[in-house]
Amino acid sequence: MAQTTIPDKSVEKLTRGEGSADLGVTPGVDRAEKLADLGGTTMRLNGCAASAYAALFADVDVITAYPIRPYTAIMMNLAQFIADGLLDAEYLHADGEHAQISAALGAGSCGARAFTGSSGVGVTYAFEVYSPAAGARVPIQMAIADRTLDPPGDFGSEHTDALCTRDMGWLMGWAATPQEVFDKHLLGYAIGEDPRLLLPQMICQDGYFVSHISGDVELPSVEQVERFLPPYKLPFALDPKKPVSHGPQIHPEQGPPLQLERARSMEIALDIIREKTDEFSDVFGRTYPHFVEEFMLEDAEVVFVIQGGHAVTCQATVKRLRERGIKAGMARLLWFRPFPTEDLQKALSKAKVVGVVETNLGLGGASYGGILSLDITTALYHSPHNRPLVTSFMAGMGGETIPINEFSWMADKMVEAMERGAVEKASHWVGFEE
Amino acid sequence: MSQEVVRQHLPLFEEQGRSATVPDEVGRNLHYLPDMPKEDPYQAGHRTCAGCGPAIQYRWVLKAAGQNTVVAGPTGCMYVANATYMSTPYTVPWAHTQIASGGSFTSGMAAAYESMIRKGKYKGEYPNILVMAGDGSAADIGIGAISGALYRNHDALFICYDNECYANTGIQTSPTTPYGGSTTFTPPGKVIPEGKKLPPKNLAKMMSEGHPNCYVATTTVGYTIDLMNKTRKGLNHRGAAFLHCYTPCQKGWVYQTPMTVELGRRVVESGLFPVWEYDPEERKYEYFIPPEQRPVVDYLAMQGRFGHLHPEHVALLQVAANRNWEDMGADVPKRLRELEDPEAHKHLKEEEYSLPVNRGIGA
Repeated sequence: MAQTTIPDKSVEKLTRGEGSADLGVTPGVDRAEKLADLGGTTMRLNGCAASAYAALFADVDVITAYPIRPYTAIMMNLAQFIADGLLDAEYLHADGEHAQISAALGAGSCGARAFTGSSGVGVTYAFEVYSPAAGARVPIQMAIADRTLDPPGDFGSEHTDALCTRDMGWLMGWAATPQEVFDKHLLGYAIGEDPRLLLPQMICQDGYFVSHISGDVELPSVEQVERFLPPYKLPFALDPKKPVSHGPQIHPEQGPPLQLERARSMEIALDIIREKTDEFSDVFGRTYPHFVEEFMLEDAEVVFVIQGGHAVTCQATVKRLRERGIKAGMARLLWFRPFPTEDLQKALSKAKVVGVVETNLGLGGASYGGILSLDITTALYHSPHNRPLVTSFMAGMGGETIPINEFSWMADKMVEAMERGAVEKASHWVGFEE
Repeated sequence: MSQEVVRQHLPLFEEQGRSATVPDEVGRNLHYLPDMPKEDPYQAGHRTCAGCGPAIQYRWVLKAAGQNTVVAGPTGCMYVANATYMSTPYTVPWAHTQIASGGSFTSGMAAAYESMIRKGKYKGEYPNILVMAGDGSAADIGIGAISGALYRNHDALFICYDNECYANTGIQTSPTTPYGGSTTFTPPGKVIPEGKKLPPKNLAKMMSEGHPNCYVATTTVGYTIDLMNKTRKGLNHRGAAFLHCYTPCQKGWVYQTPMTVELGRRVVESGLFPVWEYDPEERKYEYFIPPEQRPVVDYLAMQGRFGHLHPEHVALLQVAANRNWEDMGADVPKRLRELEDPEAHKHLKEEEYSLPVNRGIGA
């Protein structure tokens, strides 16, 4: 299998089974000792390896795997950790993604910390299981490295795979760098497993742009992780000592209160995400905004709203636009579910034109473009602050890169709209228009 | 630092001379069962139909498994009729799974307990882990997940309760519906007089041949002790086990309500549902040859779902039954051979309703 991994010593060695010697791992040696050696070190890891290391530090109990590129490398790394004795977990080779997520749900329902993941059509193959998992309030975690849905059979990153499950009740957010990937996995477990919440999480990263490009990742100490992430305890686990029934049938009149409770869980999640993000910063010393990363927004007139790895290029473009005298800025979404309506309204309160960068396909929607702008436009429509003009850009389709000149083109469109006082249209296809 | 995973071992019930495997004249009408556990993890209060075969099976299986058990139930009639919000019949932990997830969800449960006990995160013996999936789930939409689970050899018992149709959704054909069975997807008519035209899948043989390291067995609700012992053997087996249990559906098959258990014996005696056990160590099948071998008509004529069959259809079913006898290594009596001829049959609706003569109630 051709790996597109950027040469990366540590990961390469691990995936080739040479990790044992390299990490000083001897089977049977106390796992804590091995992890202690890793703690506090900085490794060059790609996004997939960062995910695997996060699962290692989270001491997951059950891993369910099924191969599909590009997320597979996460599971390859974890398989090696187990083979080397670095991680003690059941590694379940599922017979498809539906079975894979179902098995993770079964494990999580019994009180085991379960880790799974997928990409592209693998994510959609398991679709049926997302709502039952969230409705069961079983906080399993799924790592997603985005891949375009078929057709046409494409490895590149588009966020459509995860985004089409956005209304199933999972927490969902994108990381832009391997370090953020690592951190978000721990943060995801801490948020999802909070007994006030109990929701499954999709921790997403762009395929290849993040999953297969290396960056420095600072690994925490075991003590830090234990402080931040207490052992998983499901209050209603399937345990013969305390029998419970999960998922019985209801009568229609019992539906409204149960659905209301599920809807409210997303509102509760907003507060818990804030709380845990602050706690994360206290414990690990790395600080993330709760929901929206604001870049040069103080006086920005034209603002990109974006999520995922393309934000790195977007930031570079914003700096260049500033040199050209264009007051540009960027708001990056760290979580898409629950949608940070208030935080985004506030972040965009001074913007004149907002341009949503869609790296997803939302066929036939209200904007005839992508998915993100639908939520963002709704949030802004109800904004108690200033209501900016909104347009959106279909860019990076099929996993194509979005170069600086394309971001600049988008900025020009936003400047035109600002001068005109109206947007040309709700959605532009970048590269196909003047 | 790894903890030992302690597994349960359940003793088998005394069977000899006590079960219903003896001929009529010896006293099949005796109500005679060995001492059984008092506990019933499948309690009264569910909403299954009168005479429900799967409900009988659920009760015996969970009685055999006992209280230290975790159960999964994919969507099917035994999901819908049993567990209702704030009122379920289970005194053991139970979880609904999606209809295709019986094998996979249960795999996850087994993996969870292996991992949690080994890592010291769960204190206690490894529980019995089992799933009871209908034939739609086990033989159709979820067959891949069960095959995956058997291949991975999780220490769990995967049961198919087979009522030979999608009963929950209104009696549609499933891969185990017999040839000639009338269902709402295979109604008989002028052009298709027999109703269902296809012979059924051999689910249990697929499982034993395809997963030769697993304990695989078949049984019916006609043989209580056999069912309970095979449940225990499956649970005691270190690794994955598969049990295929024939469970009549009164609503779907249209028969007299008290005849569920009787059907469970007649299907075996007519050669239409071979009862056997596969030993993965010896790689051998042990077939149960019942003391009575009956014409298929004795079985078919009890059920409304076959009432439309013509002589040639009944003869085809007798051919299928005789093939089963041959596969089991049993002699096929001459009178059963003669019944392979359509001339030997009437339209099934003209057959006398074949009620059992002088039979007692219950097992």
